[in-house]
Amino acid sequence: MASIKLKNIIKNYDQTKVVKGIDLEINDGEFVVLVGPSGCGKSTTLRMIAGLEQATSGDIIIGDRVVNDIEPQHRNIAMVFQNYALYPHKSVRENIVFALRRLKVDEKEVQRRLAEVSEMLQLDELLDRKPADLSGGQRQRVAMGRAIIREADVFLFDEPLSNLDAKLRAHMRTEIGKIHNKFGRTSVYVTHDQVEAMTLADKVVVLHDGYIAQAGTPMEIYLNPVNIFVAQFIGSPSMNIVKGTLFNHYLEIAGYRLPRENLSSVTYQENIPEHGLDVKVGIRPDFFNDKNFFAETDATFNFSDLSIDLIEPMGFDKEVLFNLGEATIKARLDLRSEIARGDKMDLLVELSRILIFDKETEQRL
Amino acid sequence: MLGKRTLKGRIGFVIAVTLLVSFSLLPFAQIMSTSLKHQFDWGNPSLIPQVINLDAYKELLGLTEAKEVEIPVAIQKILDNPKLPKAKRDAIAAKFVSNDNLFPFGKYMLNSIVLSVGAASISLVFSIMGAYSISRLRFKGQVVIQRSVLFVYMVGGVLLMVPLYQMAMNLGLASSMWGSVFCLFVIYIVQTLPVGMYMLGNYFRGIPFALEEAAMMDGCSRQEAIIKVVLPLSLPMLATVFIYCFIIGWNEYLFASVFLKQYPEFHTLPLALQELFVSKNAIWDRIMAASMLTLAPIVICFLFASRFMKGGKTDGGVKG
Repeated sequence: MASIKLKNIIKNYDQTKVVKGIDLEINDGEFVVLVGPSGCGKSTTLRMIAGLEQATSGDIIIGDRVVNDIEPQHRNIAMVFQNYALYPHKSVRENIVFALRRLKVDEKEVQRRLAEVSEMLQLDELLDRKPADLSGGQRQRVAMGRAIIREADVFLFDEPLSNLDAKLRAHMRTEIGKIHNKFGRTSVYVTHDQVEAMTLADKVVVLHDGYIAQAGTPMEIYLNPVNIFVAQFIGSPSMNIVKGTLFNHYLEIAGYRLPRENLSSVTYQENIPEHGLDVKVGIRPDFFNDKNFFAETDATFNFSDLSIDLIEPMGFDKEVLFNLGEATIKARLDLRSEIARGDKMDLLVELSRILIFDKETEQRL
Repeated sequence: MLGKRTLKGRIGFVIAVTLLVSFSLLPFAQIMSTSLKHQFDWGNPSLIPQVINLDAYKELLGLTEAKEVEIPVAIQKILDNPKLPKAKRDAIAAKFVSNDNLFPFGKYMLNSIVLSVGAASISLVFSIMGAYSISRLRFKGQVVIQRSVLFVYMVGGVLLMVPLYQMAMNLGLASSMWGSVFCLFVIYIVQTLPVGMYMLGNYFRGIPFALEEAAMMDGCSRQEAIIKVVLPLSLPMLATVFIYCFIIGWNEYLFASVFLKQYPEFHTLPLALQELFVSKNAIWDRIMAASMLTLAPIVICFLFASRFMKGGKTDGGVKG
């Protein structure tokens, strides 16, 4: 059990700067998900914690020791790799107990832990097979078993589910959540899948271009993203961004005038010029509501008479597309809303859910 | 349809394979056949001996009883001449009595084994280290080293033979037997190392680095990761490289003929064979039997190693 601290971690490969300064504290027993698009430095950060990469500068502290110069084998960390990295020449059993054998753990203890792990991950029937004879999901479970049996201080997951099909991925995601609840080890999980990030994490860390864009609980990040990047990265379907103009008393979007007093982003105090201030406005598709099933109040705004261009039914949900100014907007409605292409409809949005971003910096106003 | 097998196609394939195989096996059949023939049978073009004769093998392997060589009567008369000085008499007698026409095959084979197995083993160890470093590590001059090792093959052995021998002379190594053997040892290693490194390097690149990383996360040092993960996975290629180095050493004639010329007690099989061809022992069945016995270890080696050479060892370890 251990906490992890990253202090101004920088990683350069020759001239390429991959990680440009990360400060992060991970509490003991916390499940932290590093999420971001490819090339944002999330895997590199994980590998630096593991010791598989050397940080160019900065301190990595696990527990109370600075581990920068400690070899990976002495950091007491277990890791699940994206491609599983099972030893092909060893049976499942030997794969799982490899680390314990190396540590010369007492044979009774080895068998006890093996039985426990193999029962939890339903590996009993696979123990004598070779990795080549396993399916993707089974290999994934073996890789998990190999990490769990170590009872290490820290668990690292490097996109462990990205090679599985959608159904299995959802299943294993739940399993990982259960395992974490059972053992409560400090875990760092890297993924580009925001669903995994939202569902598993105690704390989500969104990385962008080598920096931490935002860190917080999943709901904080979902509801209060600090910039357009985070806003669009987290949440599926991703947030709609439209051009708008901010005036002293209202926000104008494609002819609709939204009263400013109920907008959450009202902290902007500088004087707004007479002709208004160009901004970008973000509205999540989930926050649109069919007027027929939602009460209109002072805190909501009615986008009336929207002309629906396209409907994508998803079963319980349907996504409807319409134009707002130049932008195509997506709204997620449920199956009660019966609409056809070309229909006009009214959609309500809670004003507090509407986010306003600077047009240039794309930061929240 | 693609990949459909027609009868015509299959027959053609079988014929082609048979032709190819018999073309490459015919010389060996010839060696085998001649080694088993009696002298009267040598001119017979048939590959099957009329009577099987194992004498040549027996003789080479030292299974025959040492023959009492009788001195011919005419010679005995000369020897009996009291005027003949003792030294001269002994010299003449020795020529006839000595058993040096017996070909010490076992000794040559032992020499060959020591040289080629020894050189191959050391070459394999260096190949592993070199191949690992050029395939996995990043260091200055890596590319230069990687390419320049193949430079050895740009210059033929004949060109190097004289300068190498001169160098050995200057170092004083060529003047002693063990020095010469050592030189030959080094030459074999240097000759086989580039290909060994090249083959192993490419093989190591095919082993996902994630496996070593996994081993390191499991508590191994890098060296342990290599020994416990990389090498077991490379067994087929290790066997291939070893056999390659072994065969080069086993069959090598050129350098051995230069460095070992003055040390007959350390002659290798190819040298011995060459000597057999020109000696008074140039008897066909013997020459062929010796060739056969020279071939045998390599064939056995191959059969043995083919068990290790099954590919696909790394299957299933990683995905994607």
